Amino acid sequence: MNQAQIQIDRVSKVYHRDSIEIPVLRDITLTVNPGEYLALMGPSGSGKTTLLNLMAGIDKPTSGRILVGDQEVSSMGEGQLARWRADHVGFIFQLYNLIPVLTAFENVELPLLLTRLSRKERREHVETALSIVGLADRMEHYPRQLSGGQEQRVAIARAIVADPAILVADEPTGDLDAKSADEILELLKRLSGEFQKTIVMVTHDPKAAAVARRMVHLDKGVLSAAEPREMADVRGQRS
Amino acid sequence: MKYFRLVWKNVFRKKTRAFLTMGSIVLVMVLIVVLVSLLNALGGEAALGSLGASRAVVQHATGLANFLPLSYRQKIEQIPGVLAAAPEIWFGGTYIDQRPEHFFGQLSTDPEAWPIINADVEIDPAQLKAWQSERDSFIAGQQLIDRYGWKLGDRIHIQGSYILIDLDLVLRGIYKGRDESNIFFHNKYLENSWAGRSSQTGIYFLRVKSPDDVTRVTEAINQMFENSDAPVKAMPEKEFNLQFLEMMGNVKLLVRSIALVVLFTVVLIVANTMAMSARERVTEIALIRALGFRRGQVLGLVLSEAVVLSLLGGVAGVLFAYPFTAFLVEGMKHSPVAPFAYNFRVAPLTVLAAMAISVGIGTLSGFVPAIRSSRISIVNGLRQVV
Repeated sequence: MNQAQIQIDRVSKVYHRDSIEIPVLRDITLTVNPGEYLALMGPSGSGKTTLLNLMAGIDKPTSGRILVGDQEVSSMGEGQLARWRADHVGFIFQLYNLIPVLTAFENVELPLLLTRLSRKERREHVETALSIVGLADRMEHYPRQLSGGQEQRVAIARAIVADPAILVADEPTGDLDAKSADEILELLKRLSGEFQKTIVMVTHDPKAAAVARRMVHLDKGVLSAAEPREMADVRGQRS
Repeated sequence: MKYFRLVWKNVFRKKTRAFLTMGSIVLVMVLIVVLVSLLNALGGEAALGSLGASRAVVQHATGLANFLPLSYRQKIEQIPGVLAAAPEIWFGGTYIDQRPEHFFGQLSTDPEAWPIINADVEIDPAQLKAWQSERDSFIAGQQLIDRYGWKLGDRIHIQGSYILIDLDLVLRGIYKGRDESNIFFHNKYLENSWAGRSSQTGIYFLRVKSPDDVTRVTEAINQMFENSDAPVKAMPEKEFNLQFLEMMGNVKLLVRSIALVVLFTVVLIVANTMAMSARERVTEIALIRALGFRRGQVLGLVLSEAVVLSLLGGVAGVLFAYPFTAFLVEGMKHSPVAPFAYNFRVAPLTVLAAMAISVGIGTLSGFVPAIRSSRISIVNGLRQVV
């Protein structure tokens, strides 16, 4: 599955704290087209990350269905879901989440350990992924030996190394300086355009959102498409 | 194997903690290996030599403090299967002074029967003959020769302690092999000098045709003297040796209890290390779960870390146990438990057992942290960053 449509159908999510019910997402319906680059915006606590987690298959909705391609992710069991994530989803986090005791190469190799690839094939894949993010010369560096921007690029290499159809990114530029943030956004744009990845990105940053082809807005768990003017504004800010 | 690097790097994530934990395992494994080797030595066969299973000892039924009539010898030797029976007396005298390092076994015996009973030790036939033909001569084990630098023809003087005569003996032979911390001299030396005990002996040391005969022969001897003035207790040589240790209480039970306590302690130590390590990596564990690692794989990874850590400690412990055991053996050779020193070694089976125990420590201590890690919620684990 190189490209997949994500269909979110009347999805709600309620968290339970003791006896209190906290509704986080309310009756969300959304379609993300194959190869689309979608920005999820909204204030803190609006449910952006929860929606991203549901699309990535690391959380389950309280009600409603999530389909990716022809597979209903929301009804999969733990093991099936783990295998599905390994095959179809790449993760990019705000704080990179690299494993500090592993080199850049080993961090990128992690998802490939779950495949049947030989050591040589894994090496080829990792080298390709690191070349795409421009870090082929930093393979043996540990995360502490890299800048924030470089760490995030290693994380992106890890996200794409198994060639998943979907990339989920949560505030990928949130911990970076402006220059590094621009580089990361450019890289994501390239992954969307050149490699046809479906990207769903949570961001607070209008500049980051402007890179996306579409933006949706969440507020108190309710979804609204961004106003065309808002989109125009953020694109204006970017240019 | 492809996960090994991940496991290895996580084991040494905090080097100081890893090495301190390993250090505790090393100490425990040294102790376990030494204790198990000691238990083997206490109950083992090697100290008895290759013919140990064919030898038996007859002592007074009430204990070693009472003597047996020399007249028993002929009757014992007439039992079918008995090849030779030598009356022996533990002299227990003082050589040089009473310091423990000068302690060694001084036994009177029959020099004609001795080589038959002790056919599994090496002695030059000419030296044996010289000893047999000279009443005030003795033979000594190689270890004693090395300790005192004695040479053939040297004379030694041993002051009697509970047998109130002194020995003045000349060295005529050196034996090698089993329990080299004894000297043997003629019974006749005592018979002639020790008034009142000339018709008595401490024990009978005997050899039977084959190990299969030992039980029958010892039972026959016990029955033979059951209703006599001096009833006897006949037993295999191994059992005779063990009773000296039993005098100190149930040594084996004590040793096993110590081993169990230290094992339990080290399981708690390693479990604590693994729990800390897993707690610090909640986000990382959530990350690898998000990447597609299943619960079972996470459980396997954390458990493997505990096993690798424990196994490394176990291997190092076994390696350290070898020189430590050798050191103890040297010490034992100069003590009253010298006969057991020759059997006190780290056997291959003990090494295998130590490795199995290491894996057991790792598995037990890593189990709870591994289960907890595998149950980490991905969303909660990533909450801080996702």
